[in-house]
Amino acid sequence: MSDKNRVSKTIALVGNPNVGKSVIFNHLTGDYMTVSNYPGTTVDVSQGMAWISGESYQVVDTPGVNALIPYSEDEKVTRDLLLKDTPDVVVNVLDAKNLQRALMLTLELIEYRIPMVLALNMMDEALDRGISIDMKRLSALLGVPVVSTVAVTGEGLADLKRAVNQACVPSLQVPLTEDIVRSLNVFRGFWKKDFSAHQAVALALLSGDSSVAFGMQDHLSEGVSLQDVWKEAEKTQAEFVRSPRQLIFNARKALAAETLADIMTVQGKMSFSWLGRVGHWTMNPWPGFFIAGIVLYAVYQFVGVFGAGILVDFFEEDVFGEYLIPAARVFFDSFVPWTFLHDMFVGPYGVISMALTYAFALILPIVTTFFMAFGLLEDSGYLPRLSVMLDRAFRLIGLNGRSIIPLMLGLGCSTMGTVTTRILDTKKEKLIVTILLSLSVPCSAQMAVIFGMTAGLSVKLLLGWLLVVVGTTLFVGWLCSRLLPGARSSFLLEIPPIRLPLLKNVYAKMKARLKWYIWEVVPLFVLGTLILFFLDKLRLLDMIEKMAAPVVQTFLGLPGDATQAFLIGFLRRDYGAAGLFQLQKQGALDLHQVMVSLVLISLFMPCIAQLFMVFKERGWKWTAVIVAFVLTFAIGIAGLVNGVLKLFPGIL
Amino acid sequence: MTEIKKFPIPSAEQENIEESLGLVWHCREKGICEKEAVSSSLEKSVNPLAYGKLIQKGLTQESGSHLDLTARGEELAKGVIRRHRLAERLLSDVLSLDKNAIDPNACQLEHIISMEVTESICTLLGHPVECPHGSSIPPGDCCKREQKQLDPIVVSVDKMSAGDEGKIAYLRLQAHPELHKLLSLGLVPGTIIHLHQTYPTFVLELGETQLAMEEDVARNIYVRKGKK
Repeated sequence: MSDKNRVSKTIALVGNPNVGKSVIFNHLTGDYMTVSNYPGTTVDVSQGMAWISGESYQVVDTPGVNALIPYSEDEKVTRDLLLKDTPDVVVNVLDAKNLQRALMLTLELIEYRIPMVLALNMMDEALDRGISIDMKRLSALLGVPVVSTVAVTGEGLADLKRAVNQACVPSLQVPLTEDIVRSLNVFRGFWKKDFSAHQAVALALLSGDSSVAFGMQDHLSEGVSLQDVWKEAEKTQAEFVRSPRQLIFNARKALAAETLADIMTVQGKMSFSWLGRVGHWTMNPWPGFFIAGIVLYAVYQFVGVFGAGILVDFFEEDVFGEYLIPAARVFFDSFVPWTFLHDMFVGPYGVISMALTYAFALILPIVTTFFMAFGLLEDSGYLPRLSVMLDRAFRLIGLNGRSIIPLMLGLGCSTMGTVTTRILDTKKEKLIVTILLSLSVPCSAQMAVIFGMTAGLSVKLLLGWLLVVVGTTLFVGWLCSRLLPGARSSFLLEIPPIRLPLLKNVYAKMKARLKWYIWEVVPLFVLGTLILFFLDKLRLLDMIEKMAAPVVQTFLGLPGDATQAFLIGFLRRDYGAAGLFQLQKQGALDLHQVMVSLVLISLFMPCIAQLFMVFKERGWKWTAVIVAFVLTFAIGIAGLVNGVLKLFPGIL
Repeated sequence: MTEIKKFPIPSAEQENIEESLGLVWHCREKGICEKEAVSSSLEKSVNPLAYGKLIQKGLTQESGSHLDLTARGEELAKGVIRRHRLAERLLSDVLSLDKNAIDPNACQLEHIISMEVTESICTLLGHPVECPHGSSIPPGDCCKREQKQLDPIVVSVDKMSAGDEGKIAYLRLQAHPELHKLLSLGLVPGTIIHLHQTYPTFVLELGETQLAMEEDVARNIYVRKGKK
C-alpha cells in the first residue's frame, strides 16, 4: 500500500473494539467480513474496494483498539498501519452511547495528522438511552466532518460516503503541560520536516512505547539514528517526576471530559430493558449455568440431531444414495467404458462416490447448521458472557475466560480458531490454545461425522468418547500450563450488550463461512480421493496397510482398512472420520473399534490448512513440536483406550 | 514492632533526623547506596551535619563504599516513610487536597502522627500499599491483622460486594503491566462504577461499558464507596 504509484486512495476504519467497523466496511465495499457482537472479531487488516462519488478507494478494516499504545498484537497491527502505510483518510468509528471512551481514542488519533471523518455509530442505541449529541459543535471543535450512522441497517452511510471527500486534518490540539511540550520540541529535531506523524511517535516514546520507532528510519533527519531517539526517550523519561504517560493521559482525559460536557446531553433515566436483564442473568452462577446448559442442549439438538441426523440421512440416503450416485453410475457405465476413468469417478475411491458425497451429503448439512447456530450466538453477545462463567475452569489449564473465543471458533473450524489466538495476551496462552486446537478440539465438520457414527449406537459410547476427549483436553492443558514457560494473564474482558441478532446478518455471515468452507474443503477432498485412488490402483495401499499393521492392527486393534481413513486424515480430519463412517456402515467395525478409531481421529493431526496457520502464527519449530506431540499422543491415548476396553470388554 | 514515637511535638533535631532517615530510605529505593551520593543529597535536603549525625546516633553505618541503615535506623525510617506516604494518600484521596499542597503537608504530618492515628488512617484507607506517586508504603501491624473495625472509606474492588457503587479513587497501575489497559477502557479515577457481581468473576459497569475481570485485577482498583 505504501507504493508511490498506487492508483486509488486508501481509507482506514479505526475505532474501539465492537463498535461496528466491519459492518461499515461491508457496506462500503460490498465484500463480506465476519461481523460479531464481541470485541476481537477482526484480528487482521482486511481490504476491499469502494466507489465513493465516482472515485475508487481502497478501504481497510482494522482490529479494534482502545489505545494506540499497543498492548496486544491486534492493537499493534492498527498502530503500524496508521504509521507505516499512512492511509489518505481515517474514518474514526465511535460508539455514540459510549462517547467518553471513544473520544479518548479520537484524541490520540488526531496526533497522527491524517485527514479524518468521525462516524458516530449505533446512534439508535444512543437515542434509546436519551443521549443527544450536538454533532455540529463536535465537528467545529475537532475541525473534521462528523456524521451519525446506524451501520447494521445502513442508515447514514450515504452521509458518511459524502463526508469522506471533505475529510481534513483535525485542527484540535490537546493542551499538554509545558515540560511535555519542551521535550516534544527536542524530538521534533530528530525527524524530517515532512514527517507528519512526528508528534504521535514522540508521545508514544515518552509514554514508554519504544516499539513505535521500529522501521521509522526513513523519516529520520540526516545523521540521526534510532539509537539516538531511544536514548533521548530514556533520558527524558528519567527526568520526569510523574510519568509522562500519566501526564499525557490526564491531558487527553481532561479535554475529552470538557468536549463531552460541551456536546452531549442525557435526558431521562434509562428505561428497563429486558435484554439488559437477560444479559445480567447469563453472567450470574444462577441462572447462568442453567442458561448455558439450555443453550448447549439447543445447539446439540439443532446441529447434532437435526443437522447430523435428519438432514444427513436425507442427503446421504435419499438425494445421493437413491438418485445422484445411481444416476452418475448409469452415466459412467454407459458412456465411459474405460475402467480406470470410470472408477476414478464412481469406483470405491471415486471423486463423485466418495469425495463429493462426503463433502456435500455428510458434512455440509452439519457445518451449515453449526454455522447458523454459532452465528446466532455470536451476534447475540452471549459468548463473552460464557467466558465469564467459565473463567475459573480455564484457570486450571493456564488460560483465562477470554480463551473461549478462539476455542469456540475452533469448534466451527480449527483454522479460524488458530488465527483468533491473536486476541490472547501472552505467548504461553497462545501456545496452549494452539496445541489444544491441534490436538483435541474437534471442528464442526469432524464432529458432524462423529455424531453420525455414534447416532443409533449406545449412549455410553458417545459419553465415553466425550469423557476421553474432554479429559485429554484438560490434562494436556494442565500439563502445558505447568511445563511451558511464561505466565497466564489475568482475565479482563469487555462484555458487549446482549442484542437480538438480525437474521439477515446471521444469514450473510453463514453464507460467507460456507462459501469459504466449500472452497477449502472440496478441492482437498478431491485431492485426497485421487491420492487414495492412485495408491489403490498401484497396489500401494495394501503395502502401506501392511507397514502400518503393527500400530493400526496390533496396538490399536483396528481392521487394516482403517489405515486409509487415517491416511486421508492427514489432509483433513473430518475426511478421515468420514472414511471411518463408511467402514462402520459396511459393518467392518465393532463397538470397541468404533470407540478406538473415534478417539484416534478426534485427537489426530490437524488438517493441512490448520497446519499452515499454526506455522504462520507460531513458526516452524513449534509446528514441528506440535505435530510430533499430537501424533504420538493421539496414538498413545487410542492405544490406552484399546487396552482398557480389552480388559473390560463389557463396558460399552 | 514499630518503635513507639515520642510525643507530643518533636524537637527540631528529632525532625531533622526523621527527615534524613526518610531520605536514606528513599535513596535506597532508587538503588542509591553510595556514601558520597547519599551524603550529598542529605546535605542538600536537610543540612550538612545530617550525615554525621545519623552515624553518631547509631542509625546508619558505613560499610565499604556504602551507607547502610542499622536495625534501629531501619525501624525508624520505615515508620517515617509509612507515615509520610499514608498522609499523602489521606490528603489526596479523602481530603482531595490540591496536588501542590499534598507534599508539604505530608512532610509536616509525618513527624506528628502517632502510631494509633497512623493505624487508623491506614485502616480507613483500606490498608493501601502504594502512595499516590506509586512508591510502596511499608506495611504496619494493622495491615497484617487487616483490622476492619473501622469501615474503610476507600476499598479495593475485590473487597466490595455485589450491588455496591462508588467512585474510582485510584488504580495501582504499577502492580501489573496489564493494568494500563484499564485506563484505555475508561476505568479512570473519578469514574462512577457499579459492581454488578463478584462471582464467577467480577463484573463492573461504568456508563455503557461492562468489564469482566479476575480478582487480581479488581484488587488494584480502589474505590471511594458511595451510598448503596
